[in-house]
Amino acid sequence: MISREEVLNLANLSKLYLDEEEIENIRKEMDSMINFANEINSLDAKCEKLPEINNISNAFREDEIVESYPQEEILKNVDGGREGFFYIKKSN
Amino acid sequence: MKYDLVVGLETHVELLTKTKIFCSCANKFGSEPNTNCCPVCLGFPGTLPKLNREVVNFAIKAAIALNCEVNLLSKMDRKNYVYPDLSKAYQISQFYEPICKNGYIMLDSGKKIRINHIHMEEDAAKLVYKNGDTYVDYNRGGVPLLEVVTEPDISSSDEAREYIEKLQMIMRYIGVSDCRMQEGSIKCDVNVSVKPEGSDKLGTRTEIKNMNSVTFMTKAIDYERDRHIDLIESGEKVVQQTMRYIEATNSTESMRSKEDAQDYRYFRDPDLVDIILTNEEIEKIKKTLPELPDSRFKRYVNDLEISEKDAALLVKYKNVSDYFENASVNLKIPKTVANFIVGQIFRTIETEAEKEKFEILTTPEQLNEMVGLIESGKLTMNLAKKAFSKMLESGKPVTEFVSESDMQGIPPEEIEKMCKEAIESNPNAVKDYLSGKEKALKALLGSVMRQTRGRGNAGEIEEKLKELIK
Amino acid sequence: MDLGKRGAIKKINKLLTDKEISCKELTNRYIEEIEKSDLNAYVIMCEDNALKSAEKVDKKISLGEKIGVLEGIPMTLKDNISTTGIETKCCSKILEGYKPIYNATAWELLQNKGAVLLGKTNMDEFAMGSACENSCMGRAKNPHDKSRVTGGSSGGGAAAVSGNLAAYALGSDTGGSIRQPASFCGIVGLKPTYGSVSRYGLIAYASSFDQIGPIAQTAEDAAIIFDAICGHDSKDSTSVKIEGGPSYNEINNSIKGLKIGIPKEYYDGVNEEVKSSIEKAMKVYESLGAKIEYFSLPEVKYSLPVYYILVCAEAASNLARFDGVRYGYRTENYKDINEMMCKTRSEGFGAEVKRRILLGNYVLSSGYYDAYYKKAQDLRKVIANAFNGAFEKFDVFLTPTSPFTAFEAGKEYGSPTEIYLADICTAPVNTVGIPGISVPCGFDSKNLPIGMQILGAKFSEAKLLNVAHQYEIATNYENNKCLETGVRL
Repeated sequence: MISREEVLNLANLSKLYLDEEEIENIRKEMDSMINFANEINSLDAKCEKLPEINNISNAFREDEIVESYPQEEILKNVDGGREGFFYIKKSN
Repeated sequence: MKYDLVVGLETHVELLTKTKIFCSCANKFGSEPNTNCCPVCLGFPGTLPKLNREVVNFAIKAAIALNCEVNLLSKMDRKNYVYPDLSKAYQISQFYEPICKNGYIMLDSGKKIRINHIHMEEDAAKLVYKNGDTYVDYNRGGVPLLEVVTEPDISSSDEAREYIEKLQMIMRYIGVSDCRMQEGSIKCDVNVSVKPEGSDKLGTRTEIKNMNSVTFMTKAIDYERDRHIDLIESGEKVVQQTMRYIEATNSTESMRSKEDAQDYRYFRDPDLVDIILTNEEIEKIKKTLPELPDSRFKRYVNDLEISEKDAALLVKYKNVSDYFENASVNLKIPKTVANFIVGQIFRTIETEAEKEKFEILTTPEQLNEMVGLIESGKLTMNLAKKAFSKMLESGKPVTEFVSESDMQGIPPEEIEKMCKEAIESNPNAVKDYLSGKEKALKALLGSVMRQTRGRGNAGEIEEKLKELIK
Repeated sequence: MDLGKRGAIKKINKLLTDKEISCKELTNRYIEEIEKSDLNAYVIMCEDNALKSAEKVDKKISLGEKIGVLEGIPMTLKDNISTTGIETKCCSKILEGYKPIYNATAWELLQNKGAVLLGKTNMDEFAMGSACENSCMGRAKNPHDKSRVTGGSSGGGAAAVSGNLAAYALGSDTGGSIRQPASFCGIVGLKPTYGSVSRYGLIAYASSFDQIGPIAQTAEDAAIIFDAICGHDSKDSTSVKIEGGPSYNEINNSIKGLKIGIPKEYYDGVNEEVKSSIEKAMKVYESLGAKIEYFSLPEVKYSLPVYYILVCAEAASNLARFDGVRYGYRTENYKDINEMMCKTRSEGFGAEVKRRILLGNYVLSSGYYDAYYKKAQDLRKVIANAFNGAFEKFDVFLTPTSPFTAFEAGKEYGSPTEIYLADICTAPVNTVGIPGISVPCGFDSKNLPIGMQILGAKFSEAKLLNVAHQYEIATNYENNKCLETGVRL
């Protein structure tokens, strides 16, 4: 089974806090998910010459300025921010 | 024991495109916070990036100028880490298939500093800390960067300095970046290790992050080298870690160790598509590149007979070099122009930044006109120098400062008369000259020049004197 | 008038142009029915906007101007399709209060055609689910049996269309999220080819799998909607220019000589009633001159784990931006920035979302990347290659949409992967990037709808809609059964 340390490392990468109960549940759940994922090991992947799934290429934009959004619009979802900035108080 | 220093540099060069790398917001420094922003560079849910073609063109230019191969197929990847300076919580970069690889910069010594690869990526936003609170300005978020990564080929802080200065020079020449360290438009991460002299095995390295001054970079390298050597000498181990340089104390401190090294979980960005280039496109871009500084330097020294020192001063900044090129058009001896630039113009300029801008009142055409008058014998060097000082102050053409009679020159018959008089009144000097003392002729020349009040052409007079003595 | 039969769009269009009902009146009736309904199909209403749009249409009609076929048609959007100024939260606490400052391209296209947006519909949080039970707004109910699930993740949209609370809906489909709820609710759902409808403004779950598509009462309606939303969008690098005319023009084509492949693997473990219902549909097709042939496509078996590895990886990265800094929920108490972000995310995301983020980071993390992510990416190509090969032999495949019909809500699962099997018939389509449509083809003994799935090669939407429409005509729409709820005109 996936170790406690590994779960904590994944939680750290995921920026998630897990309490003790969650850690144990996640270990079990991850186990079933990983076993599920392991099914792919029974198939060989010989595909070097196969194209990408969505074989589109070269979607470019010209280097032309389009007017940016007004600062009020940009900050609308954080109640206007503070002094034109997004703001995160040291602690709360 | 003696040690070899081993340094590799990862340099981030901010590009001078009009817009950001993945949206059409202006790529501009110094605006009000969050005013060069849109849902795309803010990473609002559901938005998608669209690659700026000019960034690809700039990368190709850099590849050619840095002797790299261009990868005809390259891809964009996500580098994942969560922090408020990354609006999407990943930086779009190139990890698996960068756009350029295998290049080099040649140092003056002839040593090649190999470039492993160059990749395109987006800059992060700016965080401002006040009283421990964090303020985020996303104007810089999404500004295009090229990251130029060397092999660990650098073996002294002086080489590192020369490499960076050459890189800056080349980027400015090809017009992809202004490479201003103070404004952060060029930054580098430095990998430092030491190994016993001559050993093949590399030592444990540390990485000093975010150097934004060449002077501090060289100090940091030297400090870190000494620190590594001290550790090894005292039987301790160098720990692989990321360091920060502290200017005030000229020392480094640990930011994080290898154990809590970031796991960036790179994978291909599914929102962006493959970049496929053709050799024809690359050739087309190659044709738009200006002559590079190395080539100009060689031409100045070998063809124009300018001293290496002066040639180096001329090519250091593209504006200076371009000024020289324009002021030399159709002249027989461009070296004269070089002398005016290095001798007189540079004396009026105090800082390197001003040299880089090279905004002077006298146009290259005006300097060209003046040197033309010298070459045609209408103006003597002495008068030209005096006039040029006034030209530089006023921006007015040479004709404002020298009179018609000054430029008339002296009729050949008048010169001949003066020469005859000089020969007659200095029989000793003539005798000396005829007995092989070349210097004696200078006395005669000086005498004639005084007669002309400096308006005569020394070369012509010398020829005349020789002719008359024979 | 029976709205459930022969589609809603053209019928409403006729009612409006014949001035039998004004658009405002119609819109008000939908709003009233939605308010009365206990299906929990809608998570946010936009009455004012809807009525304003309706008045515009009425004015046009009163001036004698011609209106477009989608003009004035009341509809809904899934809660993950961005709408300027209207809360769009993917039914997640973490996006509570988030009002986009821009429109999704698909919505922009419909808005420009005069669509009347009634509100946003319920879904599994961030589209992660197959029952519409993972919603911070509570589960949506199946109009055919309220104790049962709608399917997911576009459950709200399917419930709204099936329960006559909207003429049509836009959903999104990452592994079956349009087709499976359409099948559970007895309506039509089209998952278009990857790249044919712009993803710009669709809040990403798994970027290389997601597609927006129509949920409608009939294939004809789905064709009208698909034609309106497809096309190249310069804002989406993965969007494609499609050749050929509107799919609507093709729906009446004869399907005589059509080669229908039946991939055997899709029928393993499928409920007998579902199987026999689809076998009946095969007979219908044979009577229309199509040829049915069974064949084997063994790669299908691997597409589900491949699918889960890749979507979780992409989701882990896509959902990392919800950190409380720029929009949506931010935790109340924290001692530093890192804790602010971690607590915001821990409090804001539901259990299934957290699980998939953790698995996604697992398969991408150093040491596991090659074994999982890279291998799955390679297998994805192998599977796509197998599908493409089979489409050289067959025009379309016919499969079940789901191995079973709508199940009871509140089911306990032994493990999180148990419900993943619900996607077994639908996920391969997204893995391969091809289009698929779910069409109602009967009812089981509990009178619950059964859906069949028609699959085709990339950009074969017109063919799929044609094949689906021909079936509906041949069966006289008997399976597109209209419910006695909602707006009955």
